Amino acid sequence: MKPHTVSPKSRAIPAHGETLQMKTLLSILLTLAVSPAIASAADLTIYTYDSFASEWGPGPRVEAAFESRCGCDIELVGLADGVALLNRLKIEGSGSDADIVLGLDTNLTAEARATGLFRDHGIDTDSLTLPIDWTDSKFLPYDFGYFAFVYNTEKLSSPPKSLKALVEDTDGPTVIIQDPRTSTPGLGLLLWFRHVFGDDAATAWGQLAPRIVTVTKGWSEAYGMFLKNEAPMVLSYTTSPAYHQIAEQNSRFAAARFDEGHYLQVEVAGMLESSNNPTLAREFLRFMLDETFQEIIPTSNWMYPAALPESKLPQEFNALIDPQPVQFFDDETVAANRRAWIDEWLEALSR
Amino acid sequence: MSPSGGIGVVLACVVVILALAPLVALTGYGGTFPDTGIFADPYLARVLRFSLLQASLSTLLSVLPAILVARALARRPNLPARRLVLGLLGVPLVVPSIVVVLGVVSVFGADGWLPLGRRLYGLTGILIAHVFFNLPLAARLLLPSLEQIPSAQRRLAHQLGFNSWQYWRHIEWPALRGALPGTALLIFMLCLTSFAVVLTLGGGPRSTTLEVAIYQSLRFDFNPPRAVSLALMQLGLCAMLAMLSVRLTRHREVEGDSGGARHFDRTLGSNTGWARLADGTAIGTALALVAGVLTAIVVDGANTTMISVLNRPEVLDSLFTSLFIALIAAAMATLCGWLILTSSTRFAAGGREWLGNTLEGIATIVYVVPPLVIGTGYFLMLHRLVDLDRLTVPVVIAVNALMGLPFVIRSLAAPMRQRAAEYGRLCTSLKICGWQRFVLVDFPLLRRPLGLAAALAAALSFGDLGVVALFASNEQSTLPLLLYRYLSAYRVNEAAVVGLLLLGSCLMLFVLVERVLGGPRHAGH
Amino acid sequence: MLDINGLSCVLGNEGELTFEFDLRVERGEIVSIIGPSGSGKSTLLNLVGGFLVPDHGTILVDNIQIQTLPPGDRPVSTVFQEHNLFPHLSVADNVALGIHPGLKLDKYQHEQVNDALARVHLHGFNERKPGALSSGQRQRVSIARALVRERPVLLLDEPLSGLGPALRHELLTLLRELVEREFMAALLVSHHPEDTRVASTRTAFLTGGRIHAIADTHVLLEDLEDPLIREYLGRE
Repeated sequence: MKPHTVSPKSRAIPAHGETLQMKTLLSILLTLAVSPAIASAADLTIYTYDSFASEWGPGPRVEAAFESRCGCDIELVGLADGVALLNRLKIEGSGSDADIVLGLDTNLTAEARATGLFRDHGIDTDSLTLPIDWTDSKFLPYDFGYFAFVYNTEKLSSPPKSLKALVEDTDGPTVIIQDPRTSTPGLGLLLWFRHVFGDDAATAWGQLAPRIVTVTKGWSEAYGMFLKNEAPMVLSYTTSPAYHQIAEQNSRFAAARFDEGHYLQVEVAGMLESSNNPTLAREFLRFMLDETFQEIIPTSNWMYPAALPESKLPQEFNALIDPQPVQFFDDETVAANRRAWIDEWLEALSR
Repeated sequence: MSPSGGIGVVLACVVVILALAPLVALTGYGGTFPDTGIFADPYLARVLRFSLLQASLSTLLSVLPAILVARALARRPNLPARRLVLGLLGVPLVVPSIVVVLGVVSVFGADGWLPLGRRLYGLTGILIAHVFFNLPLAARLLLPSLEQIPSAQRRLAHQLGFNSWQYWRHIEWPALRGALPGTALLIFMLCLTSFAVVLTLGGGPRSTTLEVAIYQSLRFDFNPPRAVSLALMQLGLCAMLAMLSVRLTRHREVEGDSGGARHFDRTLGSNTGWARLADGTAIGTALALVAGVLTAIVVDGANTTMISVLNRPEVLDSLFTSLFIALIAAAMATLCGWLILTSSTRFAAGGREWLGNTLEGIATIVYVVPPLVIGTGYFLMLHRLVDLDRLTVPVVIAVNALMGLPFVIRSLAAPMRQRAAEYGRLCTSLKICGWQRFVLVDFPLLRRPLGLAAALAAALSFGDLGVVALFASNEQSTLPLLLYRYLSAYRVNEAAVVGLLLLGSCLMLFVLVERVLGGPRHAGH
Repeated sequence: MLDINGLSCVLGNEGELTFEFDLRVERGEIVSIIGPSGSGKSTLLNLVGGFLVPDHGTILVDNIQIQTLPPGDRPVSTVFQEHNLFPHLSVADNVALGIHPGLKLDKYQHEQVNDALARVHLHGFNERKPGALSSGQRQRVSIARALVRERPVLLLDEPLSGLGPALRHELLTLLRELVEREFMAALLVSHHPEDTRVASTRTAFLTGGRIHAIADTHVLLEDLEDPLIREYLGRE
């Protein structure tokens, strides 16, 4: 693979390693000494997931753009993932430092709403370009994606044309998937199966089982093993090939289009009742649907922006597969059935 | 250090409180506690059965060959590059599980050098990865006991014409018995709590450990009381095994005439062609497994992004943060372990061996309280008082020190008992105690096992993702966290470079810590 | 001067071994302790040295009770059978430990160390490590350390095992001279009746946890009337 061209946020490199180390040491000691005092120095605190806040995620650019616009100081606090965000809120309750939580997805919003910690966003959703109607008064989407099986075109010339074909063809390609108990795409595939096969999902899992090479803890393990050719297909997103094309100029990878359509994941943000600065928080949510924010999303979060006309997408995104018809369960259905469906999955794959 | 050994008891209590307080905090949060439903759940019964099966097999397959490797190393004090071999055996502990998984796949996967195909996934893959982690560790932990065999015994064995089996039965086995149960217990605990390896190489939900169930109930179900009930089940299980291990532990009787206890006899009893072949095979096989996976990691890491990655400020920052955390955590774990062992040794010398063993056992089994439970519990207790997101580094240091404690206990227990038996009465009669005793007597006599203890604790902390991932950590990322971040952003090449960097710096750290603390080989003799 | 009165203790898990001792040792005198294995020789030394706690009885040194003091505070020096010297410390440091356990010595105390080494005929061995000495020389270093400690009671726990007859004779003579000159009270545990003849005027014969007989050495060793002593000495 060639080195990628997307440069991370550049920072001056100190001339001597020693200076750098001294700086780190100082910053650690300083942090220890003054930590309680600077707890909420920022005007706006946003809880998000780690890869959003990381240097090559959208975080730094979003932060800079909004700060120059509002003349304020915002802080992104990166937690492991969406589930960690929700659990953090449950523990902190109304005492949370956060004004905004950014990074929950539609599999978590029902539970998040039930905490009663969120306030209506009150923002007009007309500009949304989501494939579904959006009526949620608490949570506002900022991007979305579809789950898909990504394959290596050099290893697999004719991928299955549908989920049904993948499941039923006993000579079909092997796959690597993620565990719905520990990973978001894993849960996405589980819901996709329920959507396509309904009550026959367990049977379908049983049929696919012999061709599941392994079930990993998270997306990273699965994708890493896929890149090492452990299986010709891996569960990922329809947008994954865009990364390889844009960042690596590599067109070997493609997502397999399935006739039944692809399962949708929508990522959302919401503002907390306990926010000390609701005006600024609402301003940020509004900014989230602004073109400046939305244009950052495709090549840093590798998802579809939630409010950007197709014409403004990078051209590589337009070459991606058409995921229609959209497969989607509303958040209440997911919350009501998740446990039972996971048990069903466990039962089917443990046999 | 009071004569009664009170400090160690107090410290052991502190350790237990530190490990159990988060559990107590979590029991009150929603749900019902204790969750007795866990005993009737067929899913959990299956999980428990599998956890025990894989952990027992992994322990067996790690410890038995490790005995052969340790024996071979003890018989060959002049092995070329011995220090490097020992360093290599210390490295697997540091490698984050995801890197090991990818390394194992590089060697045994479909495109690997020794392709096992689909057979890799399931118990096979789990055992390969666990043996990779634990065989070298077990060998390192057992080696000191064998090196303590007095030269007089070796000579005697030679004179009596012992064959290899008789030598093992009369000389090596009695020397190992003090260290074996504790080492096996530690490795059992490591395998029992294994998570990513089991899920990823296990091939599917058939391979689910108790640790996964705890993670599931705390994260996806957010049912803390259930998570605590499961964690206590895991703890209880290990406590029972620890008691068994205490019963099985027999420290070597110190019999007179051991003279220069660690003088090796370089030539005796090990120069026949067969002995050479056997020892060479043992060391070679262990090295091949370790080196195979390590080479795969090196090959992956030496890619075209290497130079640019190594020049990134975030990489150097993370490296330095990781070093900082590892060294402090290791120092804390070593100090704490030392004090606990000083007490337990004193109890043992005073005829209360069970009390000493119990103290060591307690300090060991806190390891199996999952970091996620500890982290969440502390967050629940402390979030109103302090901003924990900004205290990531001290929290990580504290938890890593706690997790490093069993390694310190294991590598120091046997040598400390031995030294106490030899010089305890002399020190008491000359009234050499406290700091003076440490500087004049214990440190010079115990610096090698002390070096190993500190190096193991440092390595563990260096490669640990553990609680770092639980708290917000934009300011200070550690190397393992950075590696995961690269991976989750499609950047496999960059991640591989970080994996290599982790490996290289750990090897250096290991050799360095052992050299600084351990002194030149055969120090003091 | 060293008075042991009704000193008793019970050892073993089920209390199966009972020991009880009465003994008086004068200054300038070595009393040898002989007896079969398990008769209580080491137990007696451990009680006096403070490594075992007695259940009853007293130990007096110059009429002061010492049985409750910790080992390091007792007016007692011990030369063990082995592990007397720290292998990583020089001969001089090993001796100096007897003066200050932190090795902080003034000029006068350094002289004391040299002097003690000279008295055990090891002048000039200061910087050597124990590993470079013969076993006889190592035990002489231990004796030198006992000398610099200037404690009135000296316990010798089989210090000569592993030495040849000539060396044993030489060391025992040295010990006897030193004890007389330093005016110490010494107990010598030994398995060799010959040793006791050279070293001590009086000998105690222990059996079954008690002092069975105590007498002038040559008298006791010739006491063939006593069947237990006869059996121990292997004479018919």
